[in-house]
Amino acid sequence: MDPFLEARALSTRRQFFGRSVMGVGTAALASLLGRGNLVGAAPSAAVKPRGLPGLADLPHFAPKAKRVIYLFQNGAPSHVDLFDYKPKLREWHGKQIPDELTGGRRFSTMTGNQTARPVLAEITKFAQHGKSGAWVSDFLPKIAEISDDLCFVKSMHTEAVNHAPAITYFMTGSEMAGRPSMGAWLSYGLGSETEELPAFVVMTSRDKEASCGQIFYDFYWGSGFLPTKYQGVAFRGAGDPVLYLSNPQGLSREVRRGMLDDLAQLNEIKRADFGDPEIATRIAQYEMAYRMQASVPELTDFSKESPAVLERYGPEVRRQGSFAYNCLMARRLAERGVRFIQVMHAGWDQHRNLNSQLKIQCEDTDAPSAALIRDLKERGLLDDTLVVWGGEFGRTPFLQGKIDDVKQWGRDHHPYAFSIWLAGGGVKPGFTYGATDDFGFNALENRVHVHDLQATILNQLGLNHERLTYKFQGRNYRLTDVHGKVVNAILS
Amino acid sequence: MFSSSPFSRLTLSAVITLTSVMAASAAEPIDFSRQIMPILADACFRCHGPDAGARKAKLRLDQREGLFRTHDDVTVVVPGQPAVSELILRIISKEADEVMPPPDSSRQLKPAEIELLRRWVASGAAWGTHWAFQPPTQPTPPKVAKGALARRVRNPIDPFIFARLEQAKLTPAPEATRAALIRRVTFDLTGLPPSPAEVTAFLDDRGSDAYERVVDRLLASPRYGERWAWDWLDLARYADTNGFQGDPERTMWPWRDWVVNALNANLPFDQFTIEQLAGDLLPAATRDQKLATGFHRNNMFNGEGGRIAEETRVENVFDRVETTATVWLGATFTCARCHDHKYDPITQRDYFALYDIFNQMSETGSASGGGRSGQILPALDMSTDEERARVKTTADKLEEIAKGVEAFELTKFPRPEGKTTFDSPVAQKLPGNLPVTLAKTAANRRGVDSLLEAIPHFKTTDPDPEYAALLQKLLNAVRARDTAANGVTKVMIMDELPKRRDTFILNKGNYESKTDVKVVGAIPSRFARTRAAPSVPSARGGDRAPVDSATPPLNRLDLARWLVSPENPLAARVAMNRAWQAFFGTGLVKTAEDFGMQSEPPSHPELLDWLATEFVTRGWDVKALHRLMVTSATYRQSSRVSASLQERDPENRLLARGPRYRLPSWMLRDQALAAAGLLVAQAGGQSVKPYQPAGIWEEATFGKKTYKQDHDSSLYRRSLYVFWRRIVGPPTFFDAGARQVCTVKVARTNTPLHALVTLNDTAFVEAARVLAQVTTAAAVSEADRLNYAFRVLTSRLPTKPERTILLGRLAKLRAQFAADPAAARQLAAVGEAARPESLDPVEHAVWTALCSLLFNLDETLSKE
Repeated sequence: MDPFLEARALSTRRQFFGRSVMGVGTAALASLLGRGNLVGAAPSAAVKPRGLPGLADLPHFAPKAKRVIYLFQNGAPSHVDLFDYKPKLREWHGKQIPDELTGGRRFSTMTGNQTARPVLAEITKFAQHGKSGAWVSDFLPKIAEISDDLCFVKSMHTEAVNHAPAITYFMTGSEMAGRPSMGAWLSYGLGSETEELPAFVVMTSRDKEASCGQIFYDFYWGSGFLPTKYQGVAFRGAGDPVLYLSNPQGLSREVRRGMLDDLAQLNEIKRADFGDPEIATRIAQYEMAYRMQASVPELTDFSKESPAVLERYGPEVRRQGSFAYNCLMARRLAERGVRFIQVMHAGWDQHRNLNSQLKIQCEDTDAPSAALIRDLKERGLLDDTLVVWGGEFGRTPFLQGKIDDVKQWGRDHHPYAFSIWLAGGGVKPGFTYGATDDFGFNALENRVHVHDLQATILNQLGLNHERLTYKFQGRNYRLTDVHGKVVNAILS
Repeated sequence: MFSSSPFSRLTLSAVITLTSVMAASAAEPIDFSRQIMPILADACFRCHGPDAGARKAKLRLDQREGLFRTHDDVTVVVPGQPAVSELILRIISKEADEVMPPPDSSRQLKPAEIELLRRWVASGAAWGTHWAFQPPTQPTPPKVAKGALARRVRNPIDPFIFARLEQAKLTPAPEATRAALIRRVTFDLTGLPPSPAEVTAFLDDRGSDAYERVVDRLLASPRYGERWAWDWLDLARYADTNGFQGDPERTMWPWRDWVVNALNANLPFDQFTIEQLAGDLLPAATRDQKLATGFHRNNMFNGEGGRIAEETRVENVFDRVETTATVWLGATFTCARCHDHKYDPITQRDYFALYDIFNQMSETGSASGGGRSGQILPALDMSTDEERARVKTTADKLEEIAKGVEAFELTKFPRPEGKTTFDSPVAQKLPGNLPVTLAKTAANRRGVDSLLEAIPHFKTTDPDPEYAALLQKLLNAVRARDTAANGVTKVMIMDELPKRRDTFILNKGNYESKTDVKVVGAIPSRFARTRAAPSVPSARGGDRAPVDSATPPLNRLDLARWLVSPENPLAARVAMNRAWQAFFGTGLVKTAEDFGMQSEPPSHPELLDWLATEFVTRGWDVKALHRLMVTSATYRQSSRVSASLQERDPENRLLARGPRYRLPSWMLRDQALAAAGLLVAQAGGQSVKPYQPAGIWEEATFGKKTYKQDHDSSLYRRSLYVFWRRIVGPPTFFDAGARQVCTVKVARTNTPLHALVTLNDTAFVEAARVLAQVTTAAAVSEADRLNYAFRVLTSRLPTKPERTILLGRLAKLRAQFAADPAAARQLAAVGEAARPESLDPVEHAVWTALCSLLFNLDETLSKE
């Protein structure tokens, strides 16, 4: 936000400080910040103080969701092996895919020059589940169990064929790196609901075997031309989840408290003398830093989680940096008022190892994803939390590799059709939207583009995607560029 | 400037405040290019602007003909008669099918804008072109009314600022204290704090030109080039790696040294420009001139697996076009990649005419450096004998170990004689990628990925300790060879293809959708028509070949010369604006990256033109203009602000006070090192790897890149020399350019994460610990010690209330650490710098904590 706006937002604080120069210690700051208890209090149902302010007249309309958890599946899960069941593939297995589907289409260089493109049947069994009768492959038993809570979109499509631009497209609305990401837009527009934690948190994980080298670029959660305080704070998978969170060796929390009390007093003397409102912001930010030193360890302490809940997420839940750990963290962050939680898992890029790796990916992500939905639902949080699960594109219904080399079967990148699912946040449960052709090659019915999904996510948070704009280099930029239509049909 | 979002509306209110402060009262004449054109551009040009493809009703309002046209008896603008001007009738219409902009447009006009447009028509509808596209002429500094204000004028900058303040009935702040002034100017010119001795010398110097002599000393310091190189590296998107997958290392530091040296030598900005854009094309180009062209090889390079080389190559050319436009034209060309610019007179054809100029380089788009090297040809060989010898030694060693591995594999993977490892049934059963990357690949050609997959397999899954150890040796040898190969000093530079590559406009900027429109190198058509005003002489214009912009195709050298010729109205303005931004926090044009129709009008347009023309007149002498800025009375004002002035001019655009804002994070680190006496002044050379929390590179690269921290003097080099991995930059530097694309203005935010850096980063804690050592050695009494440490960081002594608080803190810290001597010993041992054994750990910890507190004072963190 503009420093000018911040100065306004802080004017009450300034008036407070203006009254006395000395004696702005812990208690005073605590009351100033709306909290009696400085050390990581448990989340309460009471009205929470707000951290970052949002824009004055937002949301544009009553929101259905207050927060988003995006379970991003880097590498592109194979839609035809997981959700988009196509009996035709088995019929045609091993036969050349019809030319009218592939002609003139763009693929990555890995199959771009391959002339033999035999259809590859789904590599595992599909069945219908729940009252809604959703098709889910048996690689995903836990997700299948909760399919009546999910809304499947099977007609996703994009333009990008390489990972980094395609992921950037989903996260920022542009294939080019450097635009603000969705979480940054939401923090900017809606502000934060917590003073203890950042508004936008990112966590990453990858498959155990590291079979593919998908990198997490920080521009997937960057703030672009928005001020950097809106960028996602990436919790790390090892060591301090927030960089520099720990006090130096030998410097206790009590010593730190005393130092910060005096620092606040000295800075207040400066503010009273020099009048710069940034100083008041700085005093408050040092206080927030101190709070995070307590709230982040509390956040990552799973000791009070019941064994039953932990078991749901699977054995990996205790390993920092695993997808399961991050899913449980996502629920805990949602409980604590974090606005946008971006969980990214890499490992879905099966070019040559579909038969060995896809199942492993599913095992690593199936239970944690389902556990997160159940946990949110049990706690009444699913109603106002929108969860999105999906990758950056799909995978080819035809084979990459040789048909007789079963061990090395694979599928290449496929932007023309893929599946994702959503849950909670005002989206229809037990619903399937959109359809592909008989080969799962092209999205045919009710096509949903990347920008449409983005427009829909913003809509659920009470935002008109065409009106959440930021002026930069003379243009009013927005997440959805000049595109995007809200997919009303999937909204309840 | 105006938009529907409330954020922009508030910005607008700030601008209106500014404008009203700047005396745009109803009686004042309206300036078309600064007040009217921006509204038209923002609200109308999307459908009635330069983009022919998007134009509605064949009406364009960005040109005089369209704005005043009569069609079917309807005249768009009738000067003096708003009541019959269709433009006004449409914007005030209440009819949904008549009103403009249409009701469903995201851009609606505000009442104040409608009133301004009405007044403009009523007052005669004077027309003009956008100010930034007109060549600057040197204005005469305005007269400042007599008296005290006139006496404060120190150089021609001040009358421009003071006259505006007078109009606004404001007065400049008094001069800053000497201590504040020397600290401010030392940071601005060298990026470092003044030493206590320098502060004392200045305080004691009663000469009338004492300040000017400080400035001259700083301008001559080698630290000057290091400070200003940082900003140039941000816009040149400098990094030590390529970015994207694998993020391989490259060797561009010799180019960085070139920049530092050029800035220190005060290479005139026109030459600085020409050598970096086209040094290789100069007659009898020297090695240094070729090295300078590394500027346009600093862009990211995507060598991702499966990547189409041509797509990478095309994107790199885009980047060069757009970076050039931002740095020398203040123009946002990106839009014109796909279509004519919506607001500025830049067509897609113009874009590709510049593209053609950068399309003549031999780079192919595939990673041609071999192995994991980030060096992409063309490159300048600057290798040493020692480096070449190291490559040979490590390659020989690798061959030797590979032979051992192959011998072992004869028994490990049994197969018929004469057959390869891959023909062994045992090898074919290996998991994952190993059958191909290990068994099918000769031992001396195996990559890091393959070995990283194989070693854990043979360690744990299918244990064979002897074989695993052998593969580990092989991995070490591969890495040693790669390190040696990457360590050879070859710097990426520009070159020119012997045979021209044809350029076609790409449909929607897509590399594979060539249209049949062929374009050759030319300067943008809007500027081709610009003629130099006679009052803008170039100091060394005589030795420059005249540019005939009508004769295509132009090459990089032609373009570079044109950019710094009088025919380009923008280069000097844009450069001076960036300098102003560095000294005052905000540019005269706030949108430093955009001087086009949608830019924010300059706060002091005449001053900007005066600086731009003065810059050229003085032979593009950067140091001379920096000197002018920092010796102005405007710069020398105190930054103290009253509540009423803060309310009136929160962003300090009128400059009724001096600049005050947090120092860039890289300067904070340098300050900490300098204050503790740890800073190693050694200039130039390879990048260094100081303290960094464990695991950051590993996490970002799946363990493929390990951060190997340096030791000794490398820990204490200036921030400029810190190794910059593009996908995850040094975490100590917050609010820094990401070094991914050209950045001319970095954010200045205020977040809790920044506090954690300066409180807890080892670099800062160690500096506090060493400053504690220096402090306790420098004086005996508690008060004297406090004075010393406080002064090192703020250039002044603490006031009485400050001293009371800090002495009280020292006592409390002493009690805390005396009760926990083990903790004291830990704190007193942070970092690798030596500590005197004689120093009592408790006392050491007490002062370390206190110095850390002082490092985090708002005043220490700020330029004041």
